Amino acid sequence: MRRRAFLGQASAVGGLGLLAACAPGSDAPEPGSATGPAADEVDKDVAALGDVTLTVWDQEVRGAQNDAITALIESFQQKFPNVTVDRHSQSFDDLRQQTALALSGNDVPDVLQVNNARADMGEFVKAGQLTDLSGYSEAYGWEDRFPASVLAKSRYSADAVTFGEGSLWGLPQTGEVVGIYYSAAKLEALSAQVPTTWDELIALVSAAQAAGEQPLVLGNIEGWPALHVFGPLQAHYVPAEEIVSLGMGNAGADWTSEGNIQALTQMAEWGASGAFGDSPNGQDYDAAWAAFTEGTGVLLIGGSWLGPDMEKVLGEDLHFMAPPAGMDGKVATTGGTGLPFTIPAKAKNAVAAAAYIDFITSSEAMALIAENGGMPVLETAALAPDSGVNKEIYEAFDAVSTSGTLLPYLDYATPTFADTAADTLQGVIGGQTDPAAAADALQADYGEFTAAS
Amino acid sequence: MPTSSSPAAAPADRAPARAATGAGGPAQPASGAPRRRRRRPSPVARTAATPYLFLLPAFAVYAAFSLYPLLRAAQFSLYDWSGFGPSTFVGLSNYLDLAGDAAFRAAIGHALVLIVFYAVLPLIVGLVLAAILRRGQVRAMGIFRTVIFLPQVIALVVIAVAWRQIYAPSGPLNQALRALGLDSLARGWLGDPGAALPAVGFIGTWLEMGLVMLLLLAGMSRIPNDLYEAVRLDGAGPVREFLAITLPSVRGEIVVALVLTIIAALKTFDLVYLTTSGGPGRATTVPSYEVYRRAFELKDVGSASAVAIVLTLLVFVINLLVTRIGERPA
Amino acid sequence: MRVSRAEQMMNYAVLALFALFALAPILTIVRTAFAPRIGESPGLHPENLLEAWRIGGFAESLGHSLVVAVIVVTCAVVLSVGAGYAFGTMRFRGAGLLFPLFLLGLMIPAEAVVIPLFFDLRTLGLTDTYAAIALPQIAQSIAFGTFWLRAQFRSLPPSLLEAAALDGAGPLRALTRVLVPASLPAVITLVVLVFMWTWNEFLIALVMAPAGRLRTAPLGLATFQGQYTAENSLLAAGAIIVALPMVILFLLLQRHFIRGMLEGASKE
Repeated sequence: MRRRAFLGQASAVGGLGLLAACAPGSDAPEPGSATGPAADEVDKDVAALGDVTLTVWDQEVRGAQNDAITALIESFQQKFPNVTVDRHSQSFDDLRQQTALALSGNDVPDVLQVNNARADMGEFVKAGQLTDLSGYSEAYGWEDRFPASVLAKSRYSADAVTFGEGSLWGLPQTGEVVGIYYSAAKLEALSAQVPTTWDELIALVSAAQAAGEQPLVLGNIEGWPALHVFGPLQAHYVPAEEIVSLGMGNAGADWTSEGNIQALTQMAEWGASGAFGDSPNGQDYDAAWAAFTEGTGVLLIGGSWLGPDMEKVLGEDLHFMAPPAGMDGKVATTGGTGLPFTIPAKAKNAVAAAAYIDFITSSEAMALIAENGGMPVLETAALAPDSGVNKEIYEAFDAVSTSGTLLPYLDYATPTFADTAADTLQGVIGGQTDPAAAADALQADYGEFTAAS
Repeated sequence: MPTSSSPAAAPADRAPARAATGAGGPAQPASGAPRRRRRRPSPVARTAATPYLFLLPAFAVYAAFSLYPLLRAAQFSLYDWSGFGPSTFVGLSNYLDLAGDAAFRAAIGHALVLIVFYAVLPLIVGLVLAAILRRGQVRAMGIFRTVIFLPQVIALVVIAVAWRQIYAPSGPLNQALRALGLDSLARGWLGDPGAALPAVGFIGTWLEMGLVMLLLLAGMSRIPNDLYEAVRLDGAGPVREFLAITLPSVRGEIVVALVLTIIAALKTFDLVYLTTSGGPGRATTVPSYEVYRRAFELKDVGSASAVAIVLTLLVFVINLLVTRIGERPA
Repeated sequence: MRVSRAEQMMNYAVLALFALFALAPILTIVRTAFAPRIGESPGLHPENLLEAWRIGGFAESLGHSLVVAVIVVTCAVVLSVGAGYAFGTMRFRGAGLLFPLFLLGLMIPAEAVVIPLFFDLRTLGLTDTYAAIALPQIAQSIAFGTFWLRAQFRSLPPSLLEAAALDGAGPLRALTRVLVPASLPAVITLVVLVFMWTWNEFLIALVMAPAGRLRTAPLGLATFQGQYTAENSLLAAGAIIVALPMVILFLLLQRHFIRGMLEGASKE
């Protein structure tokens, strides 16, 4: 009885509370309201700012890239002694988590690295949380500095419906290309040749496995690393143009096409046969490449960013190559630019932030990145080192960007695609999802999004 | 209770038990209540306002940061909102969507599996350990008690780091299995859809057994020794003694332990977030993780709030059930 | 009570087995913390702790944890003493409704309140403050503390208060001079518990301070894990740094603490 009375009174109190509280978000700004200064309003005079602290969040925690950023910050502070850079770097996953929460608040950084994907940059643009950099771009001449194809990956319309065109929201600093790492000694021990076609590569995987080696190295507990294996593999079965549509979330392609199912089937076969080891889904991404440097596996399909760290251990034995030519006869692989640097709409020091972004994407910066062992997004041909794994990485990047296609990361596609693709590919590799069902799941996400926009 | 694994939520949750059965009546001062002199609140409190003055600060903070947000969550669950910009009132459709949402149903199923690992297994282990300690003649009893309780004291982040390394494909667990020739059992525990959920659950068993043991020990230490002497004179062995004396005497503590560990099982956010992020696929997602994922990753605050409300109701209902069953006369 | 020698051996075997089970993961992490990092010579590497301390920024995050813990413990205990005092020793209208309302707080999961708290405090511009991290935890601890201290104050003999009244003490004086000193063990147990929960709290610290300026030690460790996934030994060293203060506190106070729990659990 007493409880009933208590519940009754509690619900009465609850009703009052509901009446008193306003609907969520009613005081928030209209979406799509983000703006930036026009070119003639842009203030470039950093020295006149007085003492400022520039807060920068990035995810460049890996050896070479971290060294490059540290060096760049040092010379930036020399150039502008009145600016102190307060840098916070953390892993890709942690930065994504944090950004999603922090960007809507008031305590935002001045410079922020944001994933190009619709789930990230797209959503932030839609919510009006980033600064439109078009004016800065004109004032600083970024459009002369960067090829249009590179900038396109940081362009969204203000309502974020169109990806690849519209205003500029960020500027990348590094280039990225997904390719194949191998150990020369390992191949020799297997008396195998470097594969020049996908068929040879698939045969090599079987041969290595027959010889008792783990052919492919993958740590996929995070879910997204499998996308970097699937991306290049997909190009063996699906025309590059179609993959671009799928990846950018533009209408006109279909995940349930025969080619896509073949690609998913190959992933499933590799998963089932143990080509990725006993348990790729239980392995950390970083633990996997560390294991590769310690002698596990023959091939590692992964991003150029891993090269310098792995080379430190493996030395000259480590090699990198672009994947073999895709089905349309030209090489096509996942890649493009590193995460672009943006300025949050509520940034307190936009003037210094723009100068920082300008500085870390300048010619001198590109040289510094190369010097520290990273791969700049610009001037790769001129800055290519003479030897080592980076020489091969630069060559591969150059070859793919000039005569092939740099495919978008597949998680760009829709606001939920990173999640969907990660779950689905984990299922395919683990054998819980058959290729046809996986294709349906991917198509459901992509199809729903393209139909709505 | 800030942390799901909080040991000493223990005594606390005897309280919900009593509240739920309607015993939370006006607080009578303990035995020998003071004479009613001019209906004062207490011998030292002179005015009727005094109790409220002492209560007010605590109640204000508690209401503002616990009760009110819960009501707000209920309100949010009726809206379609991405976390910024305007929202749309959608009535109960977030809840209706949950009914057809495979990820959510899976999360509820996983939570029920976790209850086995967090509540049932620790209860069995805890009963055995407490009974052994109670039967006496265990030297260094304090050391065993402290050591087995120790996992409760350690931050879940630390526990996640430790177990993630233990479960890694080339980690200590697999090394041990291979050394024993059990290669077929070795696997990447957190990446195998069949093994990941039990693997996370097992951490819970490890974590909660010390708490359950301590609670039961508190109950058992109140059983008078003569009871045991009596059944032993009848020639009862340890098993019969346990069933006849020990078990019936700690029914109350069992209820408390179950309530606590079940709540902990339903609130396994930290461990899932830090070990598997709900993967592989959605094999280890639980309601508390879905709340976070929907709100801050998928940016569907309405749906997240609906999950939060369902989770809260689940906690209430299971609490009520356990205490009801536990307090039914034998 | 006497038990047979065989049974006694069995008992020790079972206890030792579970003690080992409880300790094994902890020992694993300690062992890993002193193991060589990738590409270093084998042997003991105690410098991992220093290295983790430096790279992980634990000086800062432990400091934040300490500030949050002190705020939460102080406020929660003081407020709970007040509420427990009212419920435990006074008769007043509405007690029958209010007390269950406090108990409700023991069952409200942090997951349920953290979403509205985040968005509402964001609107007020209060995220990324100590208040945002501390207040929700104070509220949760008050629910427990009120229950805990109400039971404690009720268990004291009523003659204490009557004697205080005869001495002419007011309600505040009676509380601070008589009841609290008589309840010191229970209060200290509460302090340790609340400190421990606050020190180990993850979700609230994660969500309420997204800008990362007030990152607490558990969060610092989580970020550290994201960055150095492959460096098991550094990670283990960081884990030890975060766990150690609480473990030391527990081991120092364990006799007292466990007795407090055992006694508290049997108070009505």
